[in-house]
Amino acid sequence: MKIENTKAQMRKGVLEYCILSILKSGEAYPSEIIEKLKAGKLIVVEGTLYPLLTRLKNAGLLSYRWEESKSGPPRKYYKLTKIGEEFLKELETTWNDLVKAVKITSK
Amino acid sequence: MNQTVTINISGIVFHIDVDAYEELKKYLNKIKSYFKNSEESEEIMADIEARIAELFSEKITSDNQVIQSKDVEEVITIMGKPEQYIDEDETKEDEPKRESFSSDQKTYSSEKKLFRDPDDRMIGGVAAGLAAYLGVEALWLRLFFVVALFVGFGFLLYIILWIVMSEAKTASDKLHMKGEPVNIDNIGKTFKDEADKMSENFKKHGQQYGKKAESAIESFFNFIGQILNGVFKVLGKVFGVVFLLIGTFFLVGFLGMLFGSETIFSITSDGVFSIASNEFFNLIFISDDQFHIAIIGVAITIGLPVIMLIYAGANLLFKVKTHAGVSIGLFVLWVIGIFMCAMVGIRMATELTYNERDTEIGVVKEVVTDTEDDFYIAMTSNDIPGNGILEDKYFSISLDEDSIYFSDIQLRIYESKTDSFEIEIEKDVQGFSRKDVTTKLNQMNYDYYLNNDSILLGNYISTLRHNKIRGQEVNVKLYLPVGKSIYLDRSLRHIINNVANVTDTWDPDMLGKRWVMLEDGLTCLDCDEIEGITTAQLDLIRAYELPVVELNKK
Repeated sequence: MKIENTKAQMRKGVLEYCILSILKSGEAYPSEIIEKLKAGKLIVVEGTLYPLLTRLKNAGLLSYRWEESKSGPPRKYYKLTKIGEEFLKELETTWNDLVKAVKITSK
Repeated sequence: MNQTVTINISGIVFHIDVDAYEELKKYLNKIKSYFKNSEESEEIMADIEARIAELFSEKITSDNQVIQSKDVEEVITIMGKPEQYIDEDETKEDEPKRESFSSDQKTYSSEKKLFRDPDDRMIGGVAAGLAAYLGVEALWLRLFFVVALFVGFGFLLYIILWIVMSEAKTASDKLHMKGEPVNIDNIGKTFKDEADKMSENFKKHGQQYGKKAESAIESFFNFIGQILNGVFKVLGKVFGVVFLLIGTFFLVGFLGMLFGSETIFSITSDGVFSIASNEFFNLIFISDDQFHIAIIGVAITIGLPVIMLIYAGANLLFKVKTHAGVSIGLFVLWVIGIFMCAMVGIRMATELTYNERDTEIGVVKEVVTDTEDDFYIAMTSNDIPGNGILEDKYFSISLDEDSIYFSDIQLRIYESKTDSFEIEIEKDVQGFSRKDVTTKLNQMNYDYYLNNDSILLGNYISTLRHNKIRGQEVNVKLYLPVGKSIYLDRSLRHIINNVANVTDTWDPDMLGKRWVMLEDGLTCLDCDEIEGITTAQLDLIRAYELPVVELNKK
């Protein structure tokens, strides 16, 4: 068992939760989301984000609108849908439970 | 200085160093094949390309207009290689994906895919996409579709293709569409084409303002496109079912026609039309071989499109994998079918190049001497000998052991140019040479019985079997002098053909009546109601009636 694999697995588990959390405060376009994720050292490469966003959108958790950009092609601004908000709430509960569980077990 | 190419990523034009270009292309292909199996691959690719374009835009400064290798490398570092992606399904699909990934790299360079070409389209980009796929000029395919439109199946074919082929949306799609080997020159060319188009567009619409307007329109069409997409998906299934049903129906009917019963058509309510197929074709085609070629040719030309229709239906319903080789093979086969039909057609046409008018030996002239009484015209009602293979009120063919019998006889009546009353019996047949026609005319028999005051026309023509069916017919022409009257018997109802008369009476209504030839044309003598006749004409008719009545009294 490699430590890298296990780390990746753990990060992967919370990635969706983090993306939804970032969008909780309002809409954002991928580069902004990436910056925050990078700051949190959750992802290293941007390529990871696009398939995830597309899947979340297709699952109905996110929606987007186009906006013109001064530097480059039009951008997709993503935001949470109603379903997305509820989904996020449940994830938050689960996350809190997990944190508790880790605290208890690692004492 | 290195050579540069111009590329278009997500609608933005960049100048890029050739080496950098190759790297970028490799990288995009890698990602593309990584996402190949996921449904969202198109959208993901478009997002990634858009982000790359954005990153490139940041690199461009007034000093540095060209994207360098190091820029590409930086972008790759930012975006990450597929191996570095955290994929939620990774644990499950890790192994197979890696495998297909490495093999994809090899196959990519030569693999061609069928896409509709949105950049070079007239209607839906079908012809352009096909042209790119087949490696020919789009013009030829457009010509083909226009011709096909007139032949009748073009419209349907185009719509089917439109539905089945997807549009080339991303840059990698377009490369796949053109399928050129991935080397620098070719890629450069492909992207240069695009860039040229882009800059044209920019010129057309004018810089800033134009771009904004374009995007608004674009997003509107995107919206419409999404709705249409949904509608088309449903319609696709509906079309699929319809195609399958129609195709199957035709196929069954067609096979039944070829191999089923002995009778080809029997759409008869009262024996209107029926053909005994084998006998009939033996009498048309020169040899058995020719007959078989014709049958196979027709089977291919009609059968293949029907099978393609079923195939398209199945494709729409179940998304069957299309193999380009199969379609091309079928198309070639279809062309061969048409060729076979054409071959037989041409051979048949040479069989029919000459007819009676080239020989004038088939005409017999009779002169009627008794010009006083009504001349009586009737037709025999004998049973036509032999077994009927084609039965129709106006045209029938029957056969016995050594002869063919036809009923193609026509009666026409004209005003005589002279004072004499003449009847022309003209036999007509077609053949491949003068001599052939002469022989066939001599072996063609037609009987009629002429008396002083009447003619009884036979109701069939006969010829020897080996003369085949070659348009044999008999034309009976009456040349009636002014003042002469005739009686048309009801037995003529199937042979009387377009006889002009002053009252424009319809042929069948002319029967069972007496007609007289006047200066103005044929006029009815004993019709109850005569319309469209002047009093002067009526007087003339009475004037002619008198001597006739007197003769009858005698």
